[in-house]
Amino acid sequence: MTTRQVEEGSSALSAFARLKIEPERVLIGGGTFLAFLLIWEALARSGLVDPLFISSPSRVALSGYALMRDREFWNDLAVSASEFAIGYIAAAAVAVPLGLAVGLFKRLRYLLGPFIDTLNAVPRVTLLPLIIIWLGIGIWSKVAVVFLGAVIPIAISTQSGVHTSETRFIRVARSFSASRMKIFFTIVLPGSVPFMFTGLKYGAGRALLGVVVGELYAATAGLGHMMADAGNSLQTDIVFFGVAIFMGAGLLVVALLDALERHFEKWRPHAR
Amino acid sequence: MSASSLARREEISAEGDMAALTRLYLANERLVLGGSMVLLVLVVWEGFERGWWADLLQPLLGSSAQRLRLKPIFISSPTRIARAAFQMFFVTGEMWCDLAWSSVGYFLGLALAIAVGAPLGLAAGWYRRLSYAIEPFLSALNATPQVVFLPLIVIWAGTGMSARVLIIFLLAVLPIAISTFAAVRTTDPRLIRVARSFGASDGQLFRSVILPSATPFLLAGLRLAIGRGMIGVVVGEIYGSAAGVGAMINQAGARFETDRVFVGVLTIVAAGVMLVEMLQRIERRVEVWRPRA
Repeated sequence: MTTRQVEEGSSALSAFARLKIEPERVLIGGGTFLAFLLIWEALARSGLVDPLFISSPSRVALSGYALMRDREFWNDLAVSASEFAIGYIAAAAVAVPLGLAVGLFKRLRYLLGPFIDTLNAVPRVTLLPLIIIWLGIGIWSKVAVVFLGAVIPIAISTQSGVHTSETRFIRVARSFSASRMKIFFTIVLPGSVPFMFTGLKYGAGRALLGVVVGELYAATAGLGHMMADAGNSLQTDIVFFGVAIFMGAGLLVVALLDALERHFEKWRPHAR
Repeated sequence: MSASSLARREEISAEGDMAALTRLYLANERLVLGGSMVLLVLVVWEGFERGWWADLLQPLLGSSAQRLRLKPIFISSPTRIARAAFQMFFVTGEMWCDLAWSSVGYFLGLALAIAVGAPLGLAAGWYRRLSYAIEPFLSALNATPQVVFLPLIVIWAGTGMSARVLIIFLLAVLPIAISTFAAVRTTDPRLIRVARSFGASDGQLFRSVILPSATPFLLAGLRLAIGRGMIGVVVGEIYGSAAGVGAMINQAGARFETDRVFVGVLTIVAAGVMLVEMLQRIERRVEVWRPRA
């Protein structure tokens, strides 16, 4: 049930992304976006809505420019980025082998299943107060939240990748007396790569969520901390700039993973 | 009856018992292995808090074994959590109040997300130009962890119920809109063409072709939205709220009442499992008419 959840979500998303690029689409999409920015700016400038609440694109850009020259901002950015990187890479390093092992060995799956399912049912950010008690409010509590957020979806979809490997291929390999190792490396592993990437993309979203929530909740540095501070002192411009940065980071991570996936899938005769 | 025949009979029945036991184990392997692992973890956990392992390893490790005795504020223990849960649910009853408060926000947010997301996805799937217009927004929002809007929402709506409903809405609306959109887009074009050539109106087409074929996607989106909504409840409440399960977890965490934190977390786990189970029931009922693929 849980794997289906991950897969269906991402297949719906990729259906969205697979629309062909057409001039009309770019024109309408870009036009709407421009219109949105203009209306936003007009609302703030005309005084219909207090800029304290909604800021405005020009104010956000100005405050972003000011922040760029602030050393503290770069520090915050570095802290957030390293929390994300450490937690996410550790999650991938643990979850891919774990998912493969759990997928391959039935008994291991029975042993670990209850824990994986329980963790999957709970938003891992719920554990934040506990993690703060254990690891304090420094960078490591955020790394732990990022790790927990990403590790479950990656492990679950890797596992389902192992389960869906083509049984015909395995039977052919068996009848040509391929060893278990050989079957694993030539059939099961390549077959589960697309599933791994599904999990990795989903996990990246969860990891970013972990960074944001962890830093909003309790931190001494980081972009989320900066946004929480700015929010408390009603500096809406800075909050919006933070939103923009996280948006950019999300888009960047997804684009990177897409590129990586294409690289790994190049050998496949007909691309999906 | 002679002693030797009695002994033999016992032997035979013991052998039979062994075989039956093995069969029983193989039939329920998953349950046995999973259950015993859970039990093992619970015992190890309890042992750390009560100092069983410290006492057991004292002769081996000497005084450093006492490090294995962990403080209850650090890890709590299964029995402490059970006691706290009993206290909170059945003695003081405070948990029901928090639970009610959280559920109201959750279901309002989810209902709002469905009310906005489903029509939006349907419209975007049906009218190509509309999909071009809203696509940049949807894909940008989708790549963003939507909780970054929390500080803004707090500025706009305070820390009361409306802020919580808004953040839950924001998290849950995208999966619903996107999967509805995908549903309309993947409707079999042959069915649409057939209906059209028999002169079906747009309304008829929608009711009898699009909606039925979109239902599985809608439910899949709903399943994602349920999970996202849970994140919204927790995050919205731990970031600034006076009541609700998330707020309870937050306050208990700040006071190092680890037992109560665990009770809150487990309550949310139970709620999540229950909601997914409920949705699966609905899914099965809705899908009854469909011929098995």
